[in-house]
Amino acid sequence: MSGPLYRLSGVFAGYGGDPVLKGMGVLIEPGEFVSIIGPNGSGKSTLLRVMAGDLKVSAGSVLFREIELASIRRRELAASRSVVHQFLEQVPPFTVRDFVWMGRFPHRGRPHHRGSESGDRDRGVVEQTIELTGIGPLRNRRLDELSGGELQLVRIAHALAQNSRVILLDEPVSHLDMKHTLRLMDLLHGLHREGSTVITVLHDVNIASDYSSRVLGIRGGAAAFFDAPERVLRYDVLEALFDAKCVTVDNPITGRPFNYPVPGHVLK
Amino acid sequence: MKGRYLFPWLITAGAVLLVASISLGTAVINPLRIPELLAAPPGASPDATLLAIRLPRIAMSLLIGASLAVSGVIFQAILKNPLADPYLIGVSGGGALGATIAIILSLPYVLVVVCAFAGSSGVVAAVYLMSRRMRFGTASLLLAGIALSFIFSSSVLLLFAFAGPDKVHKAVMWLMGDMSVARYEALPHLGIACALLCSAALAYSRHLDIISFGDAFAANLGVKASSVRALFWIASMLAALSVSLCGMVGFVGLMVPHFMRLLGGPRHRILLPASFCCGAFFLMAADTLGRSVVPPFEIPVGVITGFAGGIFFLAYLLVKREYRP
Repeated sequence: MSGPLYRLSGVFAGYGGDPVLKGMGVLIEPGEFVSIIGPNGSGKSTLLRVMAGDLKVSAGSVLFREIELASIRRRELAASRSVVHQFLEQVPPFTVRDFVWMGRFPHRGRPHHRGSESGDRDRGVVEQTIELTGIGPLRNRRLDELSGGELQLVRIAHALAQNSRVILLDEPVSHLDMKHTLRLMDLLHGLHREGSTVITVLHDVNIASDYSSRVLGIRGGAAAFFDAPERVLRYDVLEALFDAKCVTVDNPITGRPFNYPVPGHVLK
Repeated sequence: MKGRYLFPWLITAGAVLLVASISLGTAVINPLRIPELLAAPPGASPDATLLAIRLPRIAMSLLIGASLAVSGVIFQAILKNPLADPYLIGVSGGGALGATIAIILSLPYVLVVVCAFAGSSGVVAAVYLMSRRMRFGTASLLLAGIALSFIFSSSVLLLFAFAGPDKVHKAVMWLMGDMSVARYEALPHLGIACALLCSAALAYSRHLDIISFGDAFAANLGVKASSVRALFWIASMLAALSVSLCGMVGFVGLMVPHFMRLLGGPRHRILLPASFCCGAFFLMAADTLGRSVVPPFEIPVGVITGFAGGIFFLAYLLVKREYRP
């Protein structure tokens, strides 16, 4: 497959009233690890929802693999990318295994039978995913009994069972402890190294810096910058994005820029 | 594995209850004589006649109980609300008004059923159209249903204020959920409708699993809005059928799905058939109790299910302190 994975141009979208995205344009290549950063209310989640196909745009065009996103059938779209929303609306007490299985829903036309070919393929994907994400020990636990970090890993596993080639995430690590944050980000990075496209909204600029191939900064519903972290995650760029003073050093481990916010120096 | 023995237990309990329901009533039939009486030609003996009266009523209570429970399972999933029951979106209010009008006008029973069905499906259609037009979320949908329920129940009370006492009594009995008024010519039709709607629901069991996580989650997995609408109509029609044939039998649609979820877990492939069985047996048992405890009087089955449901939830809360399905 050649050409960009996502091509957005002049996108306006919102929830009635003032649009949140105002003339958003971006081009994402397959195999990238893209972090979306920006101040609260700048349109990060809205952009993700537009790319996921959850939200219709009021103007502009969204192409997914050079095809108009809105024209792709729901089931087909569901099979060709996965989305991890910020929260689950409800957490019914399904087992972890059943939940991961649900990710296979768009791949099966009819309720499948034991021993069928597609059933075996589904089983293979589910088992592989459980192994990859390291949630084997949780397999028979109930979702509502998991810790926040465990649940997040299980949700990633569910998404990977759905589609592991293109994965969209909305603040997947915002409420996780250090260990779970690293585990989850390492997992996503591993997928990226194997050729998957990861597009994720992140709150933590330094995590975005350490893991991304490119960082998309959004302000006021439009792209402020979209480039490699070394080039854009500098204090001058970030100060303009977040209206807060910060200091940039190099992370001695990863060699990527590391930004400290300076207490008491909110601009404006 | 949760609920491995659920179905054997349900079937056993159901069989015992079935025999009890055939035997018990204003006059008791010896359970051992049931096969012999079933084989005898109708009207051969007083007991055979009794059986011929009792069996359709039992069949009716089984079908209504199953329909209400399945309807409750679907509504709880699509409304993402554990307190949702088939009556929440106004099915009962519409049915009550339709039936009350028919009873006050002294229309024959068939027309009472027709009016009740027209009323309840009318309300469902109104709620549905409103929610489509305005793009309601779950909460707005529920509120619309509750608002319509209030309007309709006030209309029923308004009619009561002007109607004669005998008609009010008749209407109140109907509203309380009374199997004794049920006419059994409708049984085959109800049976077919119930079977079709419940099998359709079962075909959607994986959709229901996914929908119970929320709308955004379901949309992401490719569950189409049309599937959700189909489920809404399946559940509404099951409820409307029940209400129009037997009045407002409360709590079955709320309690049975919860009880089965506790025993068998949240998967709808298990939950739907389990609730179908449990709802059927529960309503049969409640009706048997209603016609057996104070002969020759009958307690409307809706009163019994209301008591049973309320006590079940209170006991559960008091024992567990917190509700966790």
